[in-house]
Amino acid sequence: MIKYVGKRLLSAVVTLAVILTIVFILLRQMPIEGYLDNIDKMDDAMIAAKLAQLGLDQPMHIQLLRFFNSLLHGDLGVSSRYRAGAPIIDIISQKAPLSIELGVMAMGVAMLLGLPLGMAMARSKGKFWDKFGTVFIVLINAVPAAVYYIYLQSYGTRALQIGMLFDRTNWKTWILPVFSMSLGNIAYYAMWLRRYMVDESNKDYVKLARAKGMTSWKITVKHIFRNAFVPMIQYIPTSLMFTICGSIYIESLYSVPGMGGLLVDVIGRQDNPMVQALVMIFSSVGIIGLLLGDLLMALIDPRITFTKKEDAR
Amino acid sequence: MGFLRKIKTAPLEDKMNEELRQRRESDPFGFAEYDAANAERAGYSDYSYWKSTFRAFIRNKAAAVAFMILVVLLAFTVIQPFLPNQYPSGKIINHPTTQMQMSNVAPSLTTALVQAKAGDVLIVTPYEDKEWTAVSNVLESLKARTVFTVIEYGDEYCKVTYNGQTGFVKNDFSTKLKLPEDVTAVPYDSRSNFPIKLYSAPADYTNNGDPLFIRTENIRIEDNVATVIRECDLNVLPSTAPFVFGTNNLGQDLWALVWRGTRTSLFIGFSVAVIEAFIGIVVGVLWGYIRKLDRLLTAVYNVVDNVPTTIVLILISYIMHPGIGTLIFAMCLTGWVGMARFIRNQIIIIRDRDYNLASRCLGSRPARIILRNLLPYLVSVIMLRMALAVPGAIGSEVFITYIGLGLPVSMPSLGNLINVGRRLISTSQGYQLLFPTIVLSIITISFYIIGNAFADAADPKNHT
Repeated sequence: MIKYVGKRLLSAVVTLAVILTIVFILLRQMPIEGYLDNIDKMDDAMIAAKLAQLGLDQPMHIQLLRFFNSLLHGDLGVSSRYRAGAPIIDIISQKAPLSIELGVMAMGVAMLLGLPLGMAMARSKGKFWDKFGTVFIVLINAVPAAVYYIYLQSYGTRALQIGMLFDRTNWKTWILPVFSMSLGNIAYYAMWLRRYMVDESNKDYVKLARAKGMTSWKITVKHIFRNAFVPMIQYIPTSLMFTICGSIYIESLYSVPGMGGLLVDVIGRQDNPMVQALVMIFSSVGIIGLLLGDLLMALIDPRITFTKKEDAR
Repeated sequence: MGFLRKIKTAPLEDKMNEELRQRRESDPFGFAEYDAANAERAGYSDYSYWKSTFRAFIRNKAAAVAFMILVVLLAFTVIQPFLPNQYPSGKIINHPTTQMQMSNVAPSLTTALVQAKAGDVLIVTPYEDKEWTAVSNVLESLKARTVFTVIEYGDEYCKVTYNGQTGFVKNDFSTKLKLPEDVTAVPYDSRSNFPIKLYSAPADYTNNGDPLFIRTENIRIEDNVATVIRECDLNVLPSTAPFVFGTNNLGQDLWALVWRGTRTSLFIGFSVAVIEAFIGIVVGVLWGYIRKLDRLLTAVYNVVDNVPTTIVLILISYIMHPGIGTLIFAMCLTGWVGMARFIRNQIIIIRDRDYNLASRCLGSRPARIILRNLLPYLVSVIMLRMALAVPGAIGSEVFITYIGLGLPVSMPSLGNLINVGRRLISTSQGYQLLFPTIVLSIITISFYIIGNAFADAADPKNHT
């Protein structure tokens, strides 16, 4: 078990390093305007001096080493345009808590609504809830999120009689961003839980329980749901990614002062160091999510073996 | 769909039934003889994988409907520019006499704005087209605060005299006439704080003040005054080509833009689907078939699969120049991974089955084993992935455009039409968001339903 965890951690770290390197090198291919504020007012000597100060005139491998060195010291560089000269770590640490709060709430809401929906669908296979859920899942999966977010914002804010934008102090303005962010995951959880529960309910132990005279509600909750929930664990990383992706759009749509909205902002202003830092943070969250999913799965399901599976050859 | 069922066996069945019937009549209890010819014919199996797949597919009604809608929509998207009465997409349409942009014209199936009755008197505006005449019923445009005399009060139009002319002025919130307390005690002087038009009739035969167009054959002109001979339409433009989806704020025809955008988006979608499938198949086959590559490709897979797709999309679009090529590249960069992994897993499962072993022993080359023995197993999955890649790509395009990294506005796509319309959602121009959204949703939902239904249909377990 410990060996497995160690191996998994190591591979996550290696992956992270590779991704950070790729992102770093890719962003160095951008025009230098993204690193300098007010480039129009500078002459060549000033630009060169500024670049030297930022260390951008060095060869790539030196830059990369410097970058990793400062990264390990918790330094992500300074913003060039968004808030010129401000350390990025400060800007982000102001914004991150709100994003995390929203993301956690959205995932919570998704479970609260998605799992019951999936359960209702599995229980009433072919009847109203199943049909309703299927239509919902098709709509959410097929129509681009960007489209229904817009309509939800417009009609939702009108129905709740609140302004279009997010206001931290007014709880009503939390409803729509959180709900919108959870929609994708609701459909996702419902879809998979239904499938696993339908699979599970055809197994022998369920038939035995029914033969013993257990009520169908008890069978659903005590037997089917529990067993069907285990494979759902592996979808947590994916749903985390959904939430990240949603947060980029939703936060910017509702002007939530969080990290996702920030990314859209700094892209608009071509602030390279900020884009780099945020892209790296979001990719790390993805990797950590997958890692957590794997570890949780290993913890919860005792049937998973930690030895490397040999493929049938 | 009875015609699809047992096309080949039906005549044989009929023939044998007929023979049995004849036998029953002539000799009900006699022995049947062995008929070698019939045995030969009946021993033939009519099973065809693709036919059964197709049959299972159209048995799913939602999928069949989605399929038909999609075919019609795709065909229409392609032929739309060649249809008559279409405006060129992206062309800014100006009013022929005022040269103002025809912006935010509401959607309509005709260009007719109002109907003129026989006997209406209209004022002609100079315009050099024989077939059409530019007309309005504006006798005079009065400056703000011009005083006129009301001689007959009406809730919509007041009959007034000004400078010796008798005409009508609008009486609503847009003119805010200054009226006495007892409005019916005519005559009295009145004025408006805004510029106001003096109409020849209690009706507004203009398009927000711009002249309308009438077919010259319907009027008699004397000294710049046209009398309508018969009831006819007054059009916003000297043409009968309507703005079915209205126009945007620049005065471009939204109908043409939406279909052009659909072409762009579908092009992106199909390109991504094909490229992803190609790379996915090639890599997946190599990954699954060549053992030495397994470790390397698994490492690559772990890296690529770990990064959220959205982040890759954003990063690539940020670094490269905005354009269709960039978008396709960015989407394909990570999209092939899922396909490759699936194909790898399947190939590892079936590559060492007995029939492949036998094939290898008989000296088949790897290329033949892969193309003839392995890939046909995976066709249904490949098709499913391709069908789902199209709506995925269209959705990603909308997302990237929202972030501000998408196509330039000069290159209409559903993404940037939606992005422009987004700001108008709660105004009276909400249709500029609605129409692109509807077309986009129809396309993505159809692809999604078709893809899933096809995956079910391609599974031989669901064949009957």
